[in-house]
Amino acid sequence: MGCGVSKSNQFHKNSGKAIKSAVLIQRWYRQFVARKEMRRRYTWHIFQSIEYSGEQAQIKLYNFLGYLMDNFTPASNERNLISHIFRENEVCRDAEWERYFCYKNIEVPDLYSGPHLTFPLTVEQAVGLVEAFRNKKQLHSRYVLQLLLETWKQLRLLPNINRISTCHSKEITICGDLHGQLEDLLLIFYKNDMPSLEKPYLFNGDFVDRGKDSIEILIILFSFLLVYPSEVYLNRGNHEDHIVNLRYGFTKEVLSKYRMHGKRILKLLQKIFSWLPLATVIDQKVLVIHGGISNTTDLNVLARVDRHNYNSALRPPKKRHPSVAGVPINSDMDEEAGSTNKVFQRRPSLKFPRTLTKDGFQNRSLQDFSELLRVNTVEDVEIHKRLPGPLGPENDTSQSCESQSCESISSEDEWKQILDLLWSDPMAQDGCVPNEVRGGGCYWGPDVTEDFLNRHNLQLIIRSHECKQEGYEFCHNRKVLTLFSASNYYDVGSNRGAYVKLGPDLVPYLVQYQASSMIRELSVRQSAGRSERSANKVLREQLFAHKSDLICAFKKLDSENIGRVSLADWASAVESVMRLGLPWRIMRSQLVTGRSADSSIDYYEWFNELAIKGANADHIDQSLLETLYRHRSTLETIFRIVDTDNSGFITMEDFRQTWKLLSVYLKMEITEEAISDLAVTIDSNQDGSIDIEEFMEAFRLTDKKSRLERGRSMFMGTATDLTKLEGDPNI
Amino acid sequence: MAPKKKEEPKPAAAPAAPKPPEPERPKTPVFDPATVTLEFTPEQIEDFKYSFQLFDTTATNEMKITYAQCGDLIRALGQNPTNTEIMNVLGKPKVEDMHTKMLDFDQFLPMHQHICKAKDCGTYEDFVEGLRVFDKEGNGTVMGAELRHVLATLGEKMREDEVDQLMQNQEDANGCINYEAFVKYIMAS
Repeated sequence: MGCGVSKSNQFHKNSGKAIKSAVLIQRWYRQFVARKEMRRRYTWHIFQSIEYSGEQAQIKLYNFLGYLMDNFTPASNERNLISHIFRENEVCRDAEWERYFCYKNIEVPDLYSGPHLTFPLTVEQAVGLVEAFRNKKQLHSRYVLQLLLETWKQLRLLPNINRISTCHSKEITICGDLHGQLEDLLLIFYKNDMPSLEKPYLFNGDFVDRGKDSIEILIILFSFLLVYPSEVYLNRGNHEDHIVNLRYGFTKEVLSKYRMHGKRILKLLQKIFSWLPLATVIDQKVLVIHGGISNTTDLNVLARVDRHNYNSALRPPKKRHPSVAGVPINSDMDEEAGSTNKVFQRRPSLKFPRTLTKDGFQNRSLQDFSELLRVNTVEDVEIHKRLPGPLGPENDTSQSCESQSCESISSEDEWKQILDLLWSDPMAQDGCVPNEVRGGGCYWGPDVTEDFLNRHNLQLIIRSHECKQEGYEFCHNRKVLTLFSASNYYDVGSNRGAYVKLGPDLVPYLVQYQASSMIRELSVRQSAGRSERSANKVLREQLFAHKSDLICAFKKLDSENIGRVSLADWASAVESVMRLGLPWRIMRSQLVTGRSADSSIDYYEWFNELAIKGANADHIDQSLLETLYRHRSTLETIFRIVDTDNSGFITMEDFRQTWKLLSVYLKMEITEEAISDLAVTIDSNQDGSIDIEEFMEAFRLTDKKSRLERGRSMFMGTATDLTKLEGDPNI
Repeated sequence: MAPKKKEEPKPAAAPAAPKPPEPERPKTPVFDPATVTLEFTPEQIEDFKYSFQLFDTTATNEMKITYAQCGDLIRALGQNPTNTEIMNVLGKPKVEDMHTKMLDFDQFLPMHQHICKAKDCGTYEDFVEGLRVFDKEGNGTVMGAELRHVLATLGEKMREDEVDQLMQNQEDANGCINYEAFVKYIMAS
């Protein structure tokens, strides 16, 4: 290129200018990088706030339903709608279970091109399954059921706490959350080989929900478990829970992939989840659990519980004998939540201290509910008191508390042990406080870690449960390692995944990766931009869904009613309504495009700028619509609960009842006419039943700025449409 | 081998071109935070605090950042100083101290204020003028390779991976960069 000669000429001629220009470019570049890094960090914060709020909402909903169960009469409509999710499995003996899930009469048609399984399973078949799923095949329901049955039989033999050793110089590979992201599992197997006698693996929970291939991941993990029972270990995560699955997409995935037998598959999975071991200890020195610990965690207690009684970690088991009605599960949570506003700090992955008070995202204490319910159901209670039967007078909560106080203490304890294990998060400060952000488990500090490790003679805790940008993160003086194996979790390019290899020296060796060929094509700038646009869209949807409350808040600050507020007022009003703890002023440039000389904001105009389109529903009351947008996934969850035969349809009557339930939950008035208006919009064929999918689609918020209007935002609570990421042909 | 001629003593310090002056050499003496009056509004300070926390990677949320992060933070907040200016407000620390010495938020504020006051960003025109220097053919483009060389060897040198990141997707099929577009790209963060 002949650069050398000409360059030196250039320098001699214009060296001063050249250097000046170089420095200018360099300065700007450095600023560009710094700003990008900061935006990445608060984009992360946005996703995380919304994710955790969703979990909190889910738990609140479940608490509410549980409370209803305990306080409504057996005959009431509301209770009947939802009682089945709390019902003990009627079929309790093993032989009956096997009969119930008999796969033998399910025929596999000749046209079926997926894998055929024969039992006992062989290595070739397990490997064959991985291949088949890589090639987008689906396993036939007959084989799924058969596989699940065998898995269940195997899991029942396992203790609550797996104890393994890295003898014979074997390294064990430990993986964190996978959340239905098959590409990541395939990538791990590619980099690290599949499980085998020389290659033991431990999977630390949250195999399902959010990603689109949860069932395939389960099938693969269970197959290897069957083939290598001494080399493959599974821990239960908080998402191995049918209640959580209702909201976060796994239930929907199974029902849509297995239309005929999905319900049975789900039922069997409920059982299987409850039989998953709770923890694993390696070489008596390293504890591996999904969530974390609390100051009361005791491995000896955990080793003795009947873990299969806990179908869902969110509710303590009901005792079988009829005189006991079950204690409201929120009783001890409520105690802590009911104390005066606790202001405490947690340690989110951004190390961003947030002030959390009892008035969280949805401030509805159950004290409020009980007032409301007592007023509405006085009559019911009167009638009910006269009825004999299993849920007779003992159903009065205070009485039942006392009568079973002795028995229930240990079962409450046990339940808390499991809840803490599956839901807790570490924090930077000493101590142990309830995890109000997620709604379950607690936050535990370095002192609790120290004490726990000493008491149990351990040296390291490996856990998952939280997404980390690098796929892993140490804390508590490197005594706690968080491991997360679902890369691109929030969006393409958001984070790496990681797995850990542990040899006899018990020194963790970490391997990182990031799935998807799409990543390589996007330039760094583009992939960062994507995450930001995604987070931005989610935020705009949330803001739009709170329009009425926001306008109300703005008006209060706009005393002269000119339709404008200052930037500072805008930020404080938005935070007071949204309660996400986000830096609204800093994000202003991305959320408010209109500029004015004095940097005040025209708030009516701002809502137009948000460019979010609502449903075509002028005849429906605005605030009802907003309720719909805001509580979309709660509503959908309730629909799915109500839809007992998983048909995807509910009757008009159930539809009305659902809305009544929701109106009590949200403490808002919804009139009969309003509900009818909603139904009419959807029930176009007037046959008296509502198609759940259609309904949810009709009342979805769409982003006018985005060309991709299909596929729902992950953070409105349902599984993301990851078909944009095609299977990586390069794996 | 011919014997070396006895060389005449070369004239001291007289290269063919005058030594290029370092641009923006700070004329200020050692930076004294006590002399800086803070003019930020309370809201601004709140925003800075949030950003400060984003950069705080201490295990216990002590609200401290390393010296090395100070520059990043100031830039993230919208300023555009040179590395020299940053080292100046940090009190010209040793290189080995950059990742070990910490500062807290109160120490950070006067540094940031000082940088905010000394505005000398360089305009779009300055930028384009600077790049025109390398436009040999006067056609609005510079050779990507040449620009890379410049950024890595002159001024406040960039590392190779930084140059790669900056130039990613900027060069056309002939390895040329339209510099007006390039400048717009850089300034539009």
